Amino acid sequence: MSTPAAAVAAGVLPGRVWLYSNYHCNLTCTYCLTESGPGVQRRELTAERMLETARQAAELGFTALGVTGGEPFLVPDMPKTLAGLGAILPTVGLTNGTLFTGRRLAAVEVLAGTDVALQISLDSAVPAVNDEARGPDNFAKVVAAIPALIERGITVRIATTGESDNPDDLARLCELHRGLGVPDSDHVVRPVISRGRAVTADLGVDATVDDLPAELTITADGAFWSPFGPTVINGRLDTDLLLTRTTDPLRVPAQTLLGLVEGRPAGGDTTLNIR
Amino acid sequence: MLLDAAAAPLTARPYYQNGDPGPLVAALATVPELLEVSLPFLTTVLGASSLDARTKEIVIVRTSALLHCVYCVNSHSVVALDSGLTAAEVVALRDEPRAALGGEREDALLGWVDAVAGGNGPVADAVAARFGRSFADHEVVELTLLVGATMMLNRFCTALELPTSPAVIDRLTAAGLR
Repeated sequence: MSTPAAAVAAGVLPGRVWLYSNYHCNLTCTYCLTESGPGVQRRELTAERMLETARQAAELGFTALGVTGGEPFLVPDMPKTLAGLGAILPTVGLTNGTLFTGRRLAAVEVLAGTDVALQISLDSAVPAVNDEARGPDNFAKVVAAIPALIERGITVRIATTGESDNPDDLARLCELHRGLGVPDSDHVVRPVISRGRAVTADLGVDATVDDLPAELTITADGAFWSPFGPTVINGRLDTDLLLTRTTDPLRVPAQTLLGLVEGRPAGGDTTLNIR
Repeated sequence: MLLDAAAAPLTARPYYQNGDPGPLVAALATVPELLEVSLPFLTTVLGASSLDARTKEIVIVRTSALLHCVYCVNSHSVVALDSGLTAAEVVALRDEPRAALGGEREDALLGWVDAVAGGNGPVADAVAARFGRSFADHEVVELTLLVGATMMLNRFCTALELPTSPAVIDRLTAAGLR
């Protein structure tokens, strides 16, 4: 078996390590992988734990980090934590973008000029369509937050979940994000994955391990094959994509992931464009 | 606590390929890195080796009876029958006080098992000497590890209340061991 560093350098193993900072959220999106919402178990990774994981990831040869949840910005001091992570490896922080007003908007200024990008969810240029999945006033809050963040020198990406049958919908959405200051290169579109709340709502496409990039994902419950792995349904954590319960030292799940990846045909994960 | 095939983690999936792997695997699968090392270990210690199956099952059933592990006693009573023990011999191993099996080698073995699994502190010199006269050094080592590994399993299965499978219960009933 090779090392994670060699596998990342060779493109055999994706370079990004994901951290689930928490599972709670101010929204209850219809397709949420983790059944996140205001009342769920928080299952937080502490800032210290995230930073230590990032240091070990860098030592192992990983090249980037991602932070997701839940809504990470519900965790106090998340801007400082993200800045710390960005000082170790380039980092993308996923957020629903609805909390960036007042003190939180001021606090996030610490990310200006750092190697941290914020990836904000926006599913449609039509407010009613976007808000149907993500909750009332979501569209208005997001389109207000994006330029406010960009004005403060923060890199913003947009993630669209779900694919419309009408190509005009995507064109309108792209027109919108360009107008908000986000270029096409910082816009990702991915399908709803039928895990978590999407299963309950009968949404999305089935994705097996063969469809998912092998991005090492660390949570309070253990290490998983992908950020699409530590999903929750009916309050229970899915374990089908669990790698190890051990996450420290990071080499334990990294070597387990590598062992599985090395037995996998190349390129098989690209069909569903799950990124 | 017991994972079915749909919930089996990636590295545990091979254990489910031929159907239900049993409650021990289904429990260990919740911590897949432990399953990966403990199952090969247990399979090596409890499975086929240079020692004959009858001898090993005598150790496992007797140790499990001493530690009151219902799951292990049930499961290995069936394995013991398949390894050539009679139903009466299985009952003798499960009873307290146990009955002798009849041969010097196996009675010396049972003296050792009772001392290791049922006692505290060093094994009495006379018990050890009798055991040593019937078994080579490497057999002493292997059988002692077998007692220890069985004790670990006994406590694990008992504490987690692992259920005896219906197939095992059917076999025990048919053999008059229920």
